[in-house]
Amino acid sequence: MNASEIKNMMLGSLKEEADTIEVARRLEEEGVSYNFSKDFGEKVLNKIYSAGLTLNREVEFVKYMNFAFYRIALTGVAAIVVLIISIFLMQGSLSINSLLGLHDNYDESIVSLLTGN
Amino acid sequence: MSSESYSAAEEKELVKASLDGDKMAFGEIVNRYQKMVARTVKGMLGDSIFAEDVGQEVFINLFYSLNEFRGESKLSTYIQKIAVNLTLNEIKRRKRFFSMFSQKANNEMYEFEIADRDSEERREAAEIVNKALMAMDPKFRIIITMRMLQGYSTKETAEILDLPLGTVLSRLSRAQEQLRNILVKL
Repeated sequence: MNASEIKNMMLGSLKEEADTIEVARRLEEEGVSYNFSKDFGEKVLNKIYSAGLTLNREVEFVKYMNFAFYRIALTGVAAIVVLIISIFLMQGSLSINSLLGLHDNYDESIVSLLTGN
Repeated sequence: MSSESYSAAEEKELVKASLDGDKMAFGEIVNRYQKMVARTVKGMLGDSIFAEDVGQEVFINLFYSLNEFRGESKLSTYIQKIAVNLTLNEIKRRKRFFSMFSQKANNEMYEFEIADRDSEERREAAEIVNKALMAMDPKFRIIITMRMLQGYSTKETAEILDLPLGTVLSRLSRAQEQLRNILVKL
């Protein structure tokens, strides 16, 4: 097929009534064919399945982290509750000063300490 | 499954086996559809090194979205849609990148490797088709690729490109005009 025949075929393929399957077949016969490299499939599978292993490891790591965080958070909350109860029992109230470990008469000492008077 | 049964298996079976982690089943899907993807990707991007990377991306995306494939359309249509989207994204990415350089640099990226052609006439045919395609506006190029290289009808082209039939028809007539002008210069 010469150049002008190829050009006509290309233009013809854009007519709505064109037999596009036949055009594609004939063009392929004329050397208009496209292929990936021979090891294309192998490359794709290697990328997918090696990435899959990494992904699984990441998922496991996140799962363990969540589990560890859950246990640490529970222990932390329990410690805070015990601390609050012990402050209440020792100080008899849950004011800011008692939570910070300050007695009311400390205020003046702190002011003196900060101002130097 | 033996290697023969993979090649004889229906696409639904291959999809199911792939979802169950059967590497060979997904390998068969790649083997079956890689030529079709190559026509779309290389037809749109030229026979460049980037085309192969985009081709690989198509199958990687397919693998990770396989559980969303409901089997309502053909697997080939589903793969073709992924190929079209990724190819158009690559064209946009290139356009942004090459807008920093001259038009000449852009054209140089579209040089083709036409190897192992067994005659001068065949080499010339491939060169005319590729040069004409690369000279076209991407929105027309995709329509020509679908029809001329893949052999899809107007309706199938509209379905794959997610465009109304009327839009495809109007682009077809404008593509024809643009192609005619390009072919005169080749």
